[in-house]
Amino acid sequence: MENSTIKSSSELSKILLEVGALLMASGANTSRIRITISRIANAYGFHTELLVTHRALMVTVSDEDNDYFQSSLKRTSPHGANFRMVSGISRMSWRVVDENWNFGQIWAEIERLKSLPHYPRLVVLFTVALAGASFCRLFGGGFVEMLVAFVATFVGLFVRQETVKRNFNGYLCIFFASFVSCLISGAFVKLGQGSEAEFAFATSVLYLIPGIPLINSLSDLLDGNIMNGIVRGTNGLIIAFAIALGMLSSILIYNI
Amino acid sequence: MGWEIFSESWIWLGLASIGFAILFNVPIRTVWVIFLLGALGGTLKLLTMKLGGGIILGSFFGAMLVGFLSIYAAHFRHAPPFVFAIPPVIPMVPGAFAYRMMLGVIRLTGDVDHATFTQLLDDTITNGLKAFFVLMALSLGVSAPMLLTRRESAKQIKVPLKIDELIKK
Repeated sequence: MENSTIKSSSELSKILLEVGALLMASGANTSRIRITISRIANAYGFHTELLVTHRALMVTVSDEDNDYFQSSLKRTSPHGANFRMVSGISRMSWRVVDENWNFGQIWAEIERLKSLPHYPRLVVLFTVALAGASFCRLFGGGFVEMLVAFVATFVGLFVRQETVKRNFNGYLCIFFASFVSCLISGAFVKLGQGSEAEFAFATSVLYLIPGIPLINSLSDLLDGNIMNGIVRGTNGLIIAFAIALGMLSSILIYNI
Repeated sequence: MGWEIFSESWIWLGLASIGFAILFNVPIRTVWVIFLLGALGGTLKLLTMKLGGGIILGSFFGAMLVGFLSIYAAHFRHAPPFVFAIPPVIPMVPGAFAYRMMLGVIRLTGDVDHATFTQLLDDTITNGLKAFFVLMALSLGVSAPMLLTRRESAKQIKVPLKIDELIKK
């Protein structure tokens, strides 16, 4: 390997852990993390062994020429789906292989990916609320129900963003959001707009469903990463529990 | 519910996928592809259910279509297939079943008489099992192309159609 004149395995393991932690936090599944990390390490002629868990990563980098091992451990940051990061890191890992990048270029690219903007808040609120209204339509609601689902989703997601910003417990944020959404759509049911109103109530919390934890859980299980699959699945179930608690609270308040 | 539902359902399926795509912060160049995949996969699911295939088989076919198309999409939009596959599949995730099961579990702990308890237990178990099997079908369907071609990365899968030249001017 010609590109590894600076064969510093400790620097490499720092990069690998940073990449792995970013992927884990952005919602990639276990096999993707494993493949990406070994792809980057192989480009520099190193062999890696990896331990991936939900909250920490451990990597051992070894060089076959001299008996030298480097093991290090890193905590992963709290999870929040960010596919722009996953996509960027995947492209970066291929460019590391194809264009013989050095460590400095990788760090610069990681910094660039970290600073990439999210979508503007209003755009997120609007499209997710539109998705809520679409769900309502698919379940068989009419125009009025769609409007109710739109408003309930919009306000609920706003509450979730605000509570996340104030560093509440993650499950508690989901409980608050589900509670507020159900209070809004439940008021509509309580006012007695016929049986159709139920559609708005049932679909107003669908934006909270733990899709990524559950899908990743099953794909990890299929892949043989049983431990990670169980951990992610449990996380998804607790999220479902928080949603149900929020719904139940507003059902009790309105007595519907 | 007649056949005319399919004339508009694809719009709502696509919009639902877009909502999740924006929530997951996907790169902007992938958004319209995700709309298309969501509309196609969701329509196949509804069609299967309409023809009597049930929600589990329907989700499996829908997710498999999304999985295969995401490989093509990955080649000409340059992002991992996973970015295209997850947002269209999320609207098919049995969220309603999952929280209905949880609601059922919470209600079972209350003071209920025997008849209601049996009914509740029935509903809870049905919802829970459906949620689990639909999820299994979804993740099997999405990873089907990878499992069938036995490759580690979509880059190693040869795409037979020359989509690249068609799209890039």
